[in-house]
Amino acid sequence: MVKEAEVRVPLILGKDVTYHSITEDVCRPIEGKAGKLWWAMFSVAIVLAIWGTGMILYTIGRGIGVWGLNNTVDWAWDITNFVWWVGIGHAGTLISAVLLLFRQKWRMAINRSAEAMTIFAVIMAALFPGIHMGRIWLAYFVFPVPNQFGSLWVNFNSPLLWDVFAISTYFSVSFVFWYIGLIPDFATIRDRAKGPVAKKMYSLLSFGWTGNAMAWVRFEEVSLVLAGLATPLVFSVHSIVSMDFATSVIPGWHTTIFPPYFVAGAVFSGFAMVQTLLLVVRKVLHYEKYITIQHIEMMNRIITVTGSIVGVAYLSELFISWYSGVEYEGYAFLNRATGPYWWSYAIMMSANVISPQLFWFKKLRTSFVFSFFLSIIVNIGMWFERFVIIVTSLHRDYIPSNWSMFHPTFVDIGVYLGTIGIFFVLFLGFTRVFPVLALNELKSILKSSGEAYRDKDSDQH
Amino acid sequence: MDQFTFTDKSKKIFIALILIGVATIIYGVLDSSVSSHRIWTSALINGWFFFSTAMMGTVFIAINSASQSGWIVVLKRVFEAVSMYVPIGAITLILVFIASSLHWNHIYHWMAEGITDPNSSHYDALIAHKEPYLNLPFWWGRALVILGTWVGFTYIYRRKSLKEDKEGGTKIYTGSMVTSAIFLVFFSYSSVVASWDWFMSIDAHWFSTLYGWYVFSGMWIAGMIMVFLLTHYLMGKGYLKEVNASHIHDLGKFIFGISFLWTYLFFSQFMLIWYANIPEEVTYYIPRLNDYTWSFWGMVIVNFVVPMLFLMSKTTKRNRNVLAVVSVIIFFGHWMDIYFLITPGAMKADGQIGIIEIGMLFGYLGLFLFVVFRELSKAPLVVKNHPLLEESKHHRIN
Amino acid sequence: MTKEKFIYGMYNDDDLMIAGIKQLQSKGIHVRDAYSPFPIHGLEDVLGMKWTRIAIAAFIFGITGLTLAILTINYMMIMDWPLNIGGKPNFHFYQNLPAFIPIMFEFTVLCAGHGMAITYFFRNMTLPGLPARNPHPRTTDDHFAIEIAECENKKFSKEEIETMIAESGTVAVFEKERIVKFL
Repeated sequence: MVKEAEVRVPLILGKDVTYHSITEDVCRPIEGKAGKLWWAMFSVAIVLAIWGTGMILYTIGRGIGVWGLNNTVDWAWDITNFVWWVGIGHAGTLISAVLLLFRQKWRMAINRSAEAMTIFAVIMAALFPGIHMGRIWLAYFVFPVPNQFGSLWVNFNSPLLWDVFAISTYFSVSFVFWYIGLIPDFATIRDRAKGPVAKKMYSLLSFGWTGNAMAWVRFEEVSLVLAGLATPLVFSVHSIVSMDFATSVIPGWHTTIFPPYFVAGAVFSGFAMVQTLLLVVRKVLHYEKYITIQHIEMMNRIITVTGSIVGVAYLSELFISWYSGVEYEGYAFLNRATGPYWWSYAIMMSANVISPQLFWFKKLRTSFVFSFFLSIIVNIGMWFERFVIIVTSLHRDYIPSNWSMFHPTFVDIGVYLGTIGIFFVLFLGFTRVFPVLALNELKSILKSSGEAYRDKDSDQH
Repeated sequence: MDQFTFTDKSKKIFIALILIGVATIIYGVLDSSVSSHRIWTSALINGWFFFSTAMMGTVFIAINSASQSGWIVVLKRVFEAVSMYVPIGAITLILVFIASSLHWNHIYHWMAEGITDPNSSHYDALIAHKEPYLNLPFWWGRALVILGTWVGFTYIYRRKSLKEDKEGGTKIYTGSMVTSAIFLVFFSYSSVVASWDWFMSIDAHWFSTLYGWYVFSGMWIAGMIMVFLLTHYLMGKGYLKEVNASHIHDLGKFIFGISFLWTYLFFSQFMLIWYANIPEEVTYYIPRLNDYTWSFWGMVIVNFVVPMLFLMSKTTKRNRNVLAVVSVIIFFGHWMDIYFLITPGAMKADGQIGIIEIGMLFGYLGLFLFVVFRELSKAPLVVKNHPLLEESKHHRIN
Repeated sequence: MTKEKFIYGMYNDDDLMIAGIKQLQSKGIHVRDAYSPFPIHGLEDVLGMKWTRIAIAAFIFGITGLTLAILTINYMMIMDWPLNIGGKPNFHFYQNLPAFIPIMFEFTVLCAGHGMAITYFFRNMTLPGLPARNPHPRTTDDHFAIEIAECENKKFSKEEIETMIAESGTVAVFEKERIVKFL
């Protein structure tokens, strides 16, 4: 194997790391007992999840009148949350697919948890259009099924239907991608499991994986092709989400930059969420050897790059709204920045465009505490971006007599916090049952990028 | 064979190409059926085509040094040589801008006299609204700052790379990461502004927020095919022994991927405007679809379907000859793309692709290749002391 | 279900295993297969295996998906119940093609992705409920095993093969039965 250049920073720290010790480290949380920190976080998450589930059931029972929506602002927190969660769900596949295509080795330590995050975030996202329907038990009509009134079909011209196809394709393909990567790792756990129940369970999960040469060849090819399929898929999904807005003629919604700009924003928020979770995982599961400062720095760089792209898009939009000479377009943006919701615009701008620029300083970029703090700021900022796009464009539309404000009710807030709770319950559960690091892929880079082997070589020179 | 020699034979061919271009212009000036406006429009199309191709050399070097990519290192000199056309390309653009400002042509409708004057007979309220942005001094200021900075960074990269050959060490490598970060920030804004100023303002009433990224994606694909074609030529002549099938595979992936990106951006812009169908936006596509129906859709199909069909398979991406055929097709496909950025706005329904456009394309191509070949011969074809050189030489992917 | 007996050699390093395989091959022994805990680049070349054609399957599934999507949309939107939606009548498929492209694309990816995944599961015989067939539990941890069939190396006796394997740097040599076919 060709050694990496000297200028590269090792990605697996520790001079005594061997193939076996990677297995031990990755299996420890699964085989051992959870720590106090884990239980503390899990308890908070489960309380939120229970509260949120109650709120969701309440919404389903009473109808969406319990939300703060009104005739003018008929999309608000629900769709904001939907777009926010879908956006977060983008980073997982981006990390595993795009970084795989670009052969970025640092992805190995983070792709598994990022993909898990994708799956959970997309589940959370799919919840919102579901409960927004009001009568969720009729949700199967979003699929092209013939109905009892004769053959009146779903509308293929509608971006909402594109969404149905996009989200379900994205969810299922991401899930398969994730699971194919998990199979060899489950096999490792299976082969060392002690208890009969664990043995049985991981044996079932690992599908009888053998690990022979041809299996690995197919594994690599499938990963590559799935990555190739998933990359345009990532682009398409958030583009289609953006088209829910952009195909309309509402000022502030109808603008051609929306598809790529939503994608950049999604990657931005998704990476921020991955960063948050990664730092949690690192702390709770003691993965300092594998999730190194180099990984954090790389993540921060991507956050800065995508944040800047989002910045270019914000400014392009702002400029064109004036340049276009269209009165409504101009007003929509003026209202965003100076209208009654100016504060949400200010939060969006400062959290998304200005704050990532702090990562230009190496000191901040390589600080765990600051990275954690900033990743949360970005998550908040991106939530406000969607809020700004959705609510401020709607609340003052063409007819001033229609103008209105949006006030969230406790149900809106409860559902939103509840999804965060459910998400963390799922994610923390995942860290106890699933291998959080792609352990077999990590082994494949140990010799090229591990500190242990790099030093062995320099001794020989 | 580390050193490329610019043979007399190729010199003669390129000079002949340049002469074809010059002859075409002279013919155009003498022939009364050819308007000088058409010649200038063609000069903008060809000027931007080769300038953007060259500029992508600089941008790609910057992207790769910011992201610390190893594989590209053995090809770096080819990118550099392509980028060294940037200063000359900038001059070709400035010539068109001067001509437009002096009203030798009317490519930019908003430059017309009296258009922002309410008392004038051809007063245009919408353009008058845009006057704070679209006025000659400000517009020229932006153009000069953008072109100047781009040329400046191009020289910086080239000089640093040559210096690295002599000095070695990792100082230049780490230093250029910072340079690249700064340059890319500047470029991300300036490329958008440039696309508005030089192309979007041709259709002065029209606007699209996506436009800048669309133009950039076209620029990217042009740069990648040009670098690939040069690599292909050099390898055919026995140079660049370090380049293996994996490097070609990676270039092929880029050509394939960026073609997809271009299509995605084209579709996003087109579909949203088609879908909403509001008068202030559809003005852009109506002339393109009504007056140029076949060639417009032909351009889209060539730029999407050809790379899609031919480059999906791994075998073809690793095969230099197939890739070369596809690249030549995209070369013309992309030239058509730039043609459609400019012509329907500048010439309305009278645009054509005739002797003027093709002849001038040859002329600019000759000039471009002459500069690039001269630059190739000035330095070793593979960098000597890049820290990632060994990694790049041993690049192997499946 | 067919079972067969094979001779296995275990190594504790991937580079040692590749060197071992090459050594055995130079002596004229055919190495059938190798088991490793992670993908080793170039191993398939050493073992003389051909690269998988699974990507072609993905392509065929993708084309099928695209065709299905076009036929379905055409049937539902154009033939069965054409509607004029937002001033866009549905007399012909091409009239509203831009609006159909997103779903055509998604369905292509859906079919290509899942079709390929199912092909992959069947080609590898990794399906829920199947028993593990790796020769030793540690081949999914930090050990590497090569598999040699006695019947494919008739020139040598079993003992000779085992000695040669042991000489190639193994940590263990053993014989074991393994399922080769399920049906």
